[in-house]
Amino acid sequence: MAITGSLETFNFIDIFQILKKDKKDGILVVEAPTKKLAVYFKEGDIIYIRDVVKVFYIYLDLDFNQVLKKENVSKEDLYQYLVSRLPILLALKKGKFSFTPGFIKYPPDIKPLIPLEKIMMYLSRQLSQEEVDRKISDMRLVFEKSENWTEIAKKAHLTDVEKKVLALIDGTRTVEDILNETKINKLTLQRILYGFLATGIIQRKRQKKRKIGFNLTKALLQKIIAKIKGL
Amino acid sequence: MSEKKQKQIKIVIAGPYAAGKTQFINTISEIETVQTEAKTTRKGEKEVKNHTTVAMDFGRITIDDEHVLYLFGTPGQERFDFMWDILGKGMVGLVVLVDSTDPSTFHEARKIINYFESRYPAPFVVGCNKQDLKGAWDPKDIRTALDLDEEIKVLPLVALDKESVKNVLLVLLEEIAKHL
Repeated sequence: MAITGSLETFNFIDIFQILKKDKKDGILVVEAPTKKLAVYFKEGDIIYIRDVVKVFYIYLDLDFNQVLKKENVSKEDLYQYLVSRLPILLALKKGKFSFTPGFIKYPPDIKPLIPLEKIMMYLSRQLSQEEVDRKISDMRLVFEKSENWTEIAKKAHLTDVEKKVLALIDGTRTVEDILNETKINKLTLQRILYGFLATGIIQRKRQKKRKIGFNLTKALLQKIIAKIKGL
Repeated sequence: MSEKKQKQIKIVIAGPYAAGKTQFINTISEIETVQTEAKTTRKGEKEVKNHTTVAMDFGRITIDDEHVLYLFGTPGQERFDFMWDILGKGMVGLVVLVDSTDPSTFHEARKIINYFESRYPAPFVVGCNKQDLKGAWDPKDIRTALDLDEEIKVLPLVALDKESVKNVLLVLLEEIAKHL
């Protein structure tokens, strides 16, 4: 199924969050007014960024070795190319994106060279107020650390302020509490939490007991279920 | 003999503008959905549909002589979000609908989830509507986009299809059962 949309309403952090979460292989095509780029993903990490003239050209290459050969790039130079092209990709704010899963075959010795978590945290530090409000929309939200947060946080190369905020996330403090304790400005805190959420360092606190606003009995619930089934 | 007053059980159907809330209720309600509409005025909204819900829609399903299940649809536009509080109080469960073909509305859906989770943490499920249309996102990807973990049910949905709507409601009722 499709992963398509507009960069104006769905930024790179949001896209990377989805690709990283399921460790997707495939090609992300970004068509901006001035540039068309193909971003190659292996297990949710960026492997290579390719400038393309016409989008359908990229689908002629089924093997990543073939891509490198056509581009005249050696495996040893991949890091250098990635570092030089990443800023061009990340600077794009307008245009369409679409991700085609699978498709490309990677040789086993092709490994990610820059952790995507590091890129995501870098991007989160530049988010606008409008963007952060999309995820951190409520000061009453409570977060908890995810199961593998230490591993992700290590890859994300957190700053001292980010580490300080992370230390306060305990499944009880609200965003408001953290803001009051750290005394950092609200936008900075929202950016940090956005990055933490997107990378998977934290998650919304799981509700152990949910509130049901009616004196519902099991017998009545069974009656409702039977009624719905019978409709 | 006076007519016995029926007890009202409330399920809230929330979601961004044009996610299919009114259609969801229409498909399953035993009465014609009572709608409170206004003309859409904002640029962008008007291109999607001409009228929108401003207070609430509601449909009903009679359970027995004593109980009736009401499905309340919240207004989709942010300027009517004061209604969320009124509808959230006393609900037994929440269905959040998203338009699977329009990722620009996922942020609004996340805001709605954040709001209800912070104030009225009732059992809830997400219905990924318009799964029959080209360009629909996979519910698995929508789950990640909405920052939801595995314990929340994120379900495929076609709000025009009665069986599909029934499935979403039944999964919600199963979730409610876990908390009784």
